[in-house]
Amino acid sequence: MRTHSFDMEKLVGYILVIGVLLSIALITAGLAWGWVETGTLGAHYTVSGMTLSTFLISNLRQLTTAFTYVLLINLGIAALMLTPFVRVLASVLYFAFAEHNWKYTAFTAFVLAVLTYSLFLR
Amino acid sequence: MSFWLLFLISVVAGFIGAMSGMGGGVILIPALTLLGVDIKHAIAVSIVSVIATSSGSASAYVREHITNLKVGMFLEMFTIIGALVGASITLVSGHRILFILFGIVLLASWLTLFFERRHEWRPAARQDAVSRWLELEGSYYDEAIRETINYRGVRAYFGGPLMFMAGLIAGLLGIGAGALKVLIHDLVMKLPPKVSTTTSNLIIGVTALAGTSVYLSAGLINPGMAAPVILGVLGGALMGTRVLVRLTNQAVRYFFMVVLFILGVQMIVRGIMGVG
Repeated sequence: MRTHSFDMEKLVGYILVIGVLLSIALITAGLAWGWVETGTLGAHYTVSGMTLSTFLISNLRQLTTAFTYVLLINLGIAALMLTPFVRVLASVLYFAFAEHNWKYTAFTAFVLAVLTYSLFLR
Repeated sequence: MSFWLLFLISVVAGFIGAMSGMGGGVILIPALTLLGVDIKHAIAVSIVSVIATSSGSASAYVREHITNLKVGMFLEMFTIIGALVGASITLVSGHRILFILFGIVLLASWLTLFFERRHEWRPAARQDAVSRWLELEGSYYDEAIRETINYRGVRAYFGGPLMFMAGLIAGLLGIGAGALKVLIHDLVMKLPPKVSTTTSNLIIGVTALAGTSVYLSAGLINPGMAAPVILGVLGGALMGTRVLVRLTNQAVRYFFMVVLFILGVQMIVRGIMGVG
């Protein structure tokens, strides 16, 4: 193994904690906004017929057109779902460019490819 | 169902899940079905909360360099495929079979909890060629005994396929299946208990994401329901982890084991009787 100063474990740890905290913040803000707006806590709606990618894209599009409390809750859930994905993406880049470990670059790229496929799963 | 009821159930599920080491899903899913939630919707919302608890707890252990990233990355290749297959099976399965399967897995996990850690970890004397090629070794500093523990993973050729099964169960039933993953790490791959638990935490998040994708596209994830569940399970798990450090009372442990046993049996009975 080559020596390198980059601490992958720290990066992975921070990606995970930031993803979870961002998700909690967005969901809590969305629920609080909904409570102020409607007088009731909690939202009652379902998402049907959406892949993870269309769920993400449609919510990001609404950021400029229909900024509501429901959108904040959706973005919080989307942030949570994307957290492991970003962690795997960072791992691919680390093994490829920092550690030059092609074996593990291939393994993590496989995981990333399957997760990407699952984003578009119908 | 009211926000607060959902939130409170999730807090209790997260708390007991963290205390028992079995994760929130094993409590959350039976509890939701008892309150009239369809089991497939309960599984779908549970698997989203699994991403939260796994990512939250994994973050600390990874930064402390206890988690073995290479072991995790290698085994994830198997668990994510298993989760996709498992979640797809759930979509086409009948409700009764899901109840029975859930009960069986709960009781099997309960048994591992019952007999847990009777064996003492010893480092593997020899590492097989496959595990060596996969670079499945590492070390970490154990604060409790103030010593650096060196270890070598073995039998990766068994560990991988077995992790496919663990991923399948996780995707199928919307749980982390951490007890099963830890068992494979411990008994098959001879990893030290701390490395087993923390690496399992890391793997659970990615595995749950694969399952979540299937449930989302099937329209089974209700964000309005997922929001209080995510916050509740995460909050409960945080409390459970804090209490766990201070609490070693055997009576409390037996109480949780009784709760888990009753939940497992009632799921099987409801499945057999056809009471959804």
